[in-house]
Amino acid sequence: MPKQIVPSDIDPTAIGEVSAPPYVRLPDPTRLFFRRAQRLNALAEIDELGPYLRFLAALADVQHGIQDGLSDPDLPETEVRERAHAFGMPPLDRDRFASGAFFETLDRLVLAASAIEKPRAAANALDRLKLAAPAERDAMVRNVLADAIAADALAEHVYVAAALQLHFARLAACLDASTLVPVGDGACPVCGGPPVSSMIVGWHGSHGARFCACSLCGTLWNYVRIKCTLCGSTKGIGYVEVEGGPGTVKAETCDSCGCYVKILHQHKDPNLDPVADDVATLGLDLLVRESGYRRGSFNPFLVGY
Amino acid sequence: MNIELSRRAFLQTAGAGLAGTTLGALGFGDIEAAHAAAIRSFKLANTTEARNTCPYCSVACGVILYSKGDLRKGEQAEITHIEGDTDHPTNRGTLCPKGSALLGFVKAPTRLQQPMIRKPGADKFEPTTWEDAIDRIARLMKDDRDQNFVATNNDGVTVNRWITTGFLAASATTNETAFETYKVVRSTGMLVFDNQARV
Repeated sequence: MPKQIVPSDIDPTAIGEVSAPPYVRLPDPTRLFFRRAQRLNALAEIDELGPYLRFLAALADVQHGIQDGLSDPDLPETEVRERAHAFGMPPLDRDRFASGAFFETLDRLVLAASAIEKPRAAANALDRLKLAAPAERDAMVRNVLADAIAADALAEHVYVAAALQLHFARLAACLDASTLVPVGDGACPVCGGPPVSSMIVGWHGSHGARFCACSLCGTLWNYVRIKCTLCGSTKGIGYVEVEGGPGTVKAETCDSCGCYVKILHQHKDPNLDPVADDVATLGLDLLVRESGYRRGSFNPFLVGY
Repeated sequence: MNIELSRRAFLQTAGAGLAGTTLGALGFGDIEAAHAAAIRSFKLANTTEARNTCPYCSVACGVILYSKGDLRKGEQAEITHIEGDTDHPTNRGTLCPKGSALLGFVKAPTRLQQPMIRKPGADKFEPTTWEDAIDRIARLMKDDRDQNFVATNNDGVTVNRWITTGFLAASATTNETAFETYKVVRSTGMLVFDNQARV
C-alpha cells in the first residue's frame, strides 16, 4: 500500500524560497578574522582611511594567525550556564570573566602585533601594554568588557579588545546555538554585548533577514527589521546614507532614543563585514553626528564618535 | 542603552577635554582629519523602510516599502522598491507574482485616487467628492432599509434582518477598525457582509 500523504506532510502555502533564519549564527574563529583581514585590505585600496584599515587588517591577520596551538578556552561550568539560561541571562557572563587563561591569548597577540607596521603612537601603546603589570592588564580587560574604554589609553585598549574578540569568539564557537534565547533588545544572546552593526543577509534560507553582529564575540543574532537595535522602538526609524553612495551601508536612526547603528546590506555585497565596514564608513558617522543622532553601537576600533 | 550611556559618561569624565578617538590615539590623527575635511562636501540622503500589507488578496502578505526621502523630515518620499517581509509570519519573505508587481500597482496612472460614481444608465465613471459620495450612499442605504427591513418572520419570531443590501469591507485594518465595522454593519441588520483584504 502506498504511503498515505497526510496534510501535515505538505505545506501548500510554501511558494518560492521561504526564509527561515536561525536565531543565532555562532562565529567561526578560524574564518572570521581571516575574512575580516581580507575585507579590510580590499577597503584600504579604495578608502581614504587606507593606512588605518591596513593596520586593522594586519591586526585581524594576527587575530587569525595566533590561533594555531593556542589552548582551548574554558567555557563556564554547565550548571552556571544552565542557571544563566533559567534567569534569561547570556551564558558568558562578562562580569565574572576570569582573565587568567586569557592572558596567553593576549601575550601571543602582543608579541605578534610587534611586527605590524604602525605609527609611533601605536607602537608606544603596544610597548606600554607589554610592560603593564597583570593588575593593569586586568583593569583594561574589565574596561573592554564593560564597553567603557578609558579615554587616556584608547590605543592600549585596541590590542586588549582585539585579543578579547578572539577569546570570546572561540568561547562562543563552543556553545550549542540551539540553546540560545533572546536576552533583551540590543544585547548579544551569548555575551550580552551591544551590536557593532547589523546586516541584512542574502544567505540561502535566510534571505532578507536582519542579524545583529556582536562587537565582542562576533555572534550574529536574528533581529526584526525596521526596529531600533538598541531600544527596540519601531516608531521613527529612518535610514540615512551618504548621497550618491552604493546604498550598501546606511545608518539606522531612531527618534525614540536618538541613536543610530549602521546597517549593512550584505545581500547586495556579500563581502561586507560588520566590523570592517563600520570602520571604513567613518564618513557616514561624521555626517550623521551633525544631524543630531548619536552613535549607539560599540566598536573598540572606532571609539570617540 | 545603559552600556552606551555609561561609556559616554566615562569618556566625558576621563577625557580631560581631549578629542579622544581611537584613530588619534593610535597615531592616525592626520588621515582622520583629512577624511573629516573631505567628507564635509558630501550630503546625507534620507531613505525610509515601512511595513505594510499587500492589498491584492485575502492572504494579506507582509511587504516592506522602500522610499527615497523621509516625510517626517519634511521631504517628498517616493517609493522605489517593494519586497516581501522576511519577518512576517504569513509569507516569510516570499511574494506571489502579483505581489512582486506591487510597485507598478502603486505607480499605475489608472490608479483610483478619488471617489468616482457611475450613475444609473451611464457608461462611464465620473469624479465626485467624498461628501457627496457618503451622503448618497447613506441616502440609498436608508431608503432601501426602510423598504426591505424584515423585523419578524412568518412565524412571528423577531429576526431584524436586512438582506437586500450587502457590505464588503477591508480586512487589512487594525482590530479596532474591524470591530467598529462589524458593529456598524451588523447593527443595521445587514447579513450579506464580508471582509476582504483586496478591497
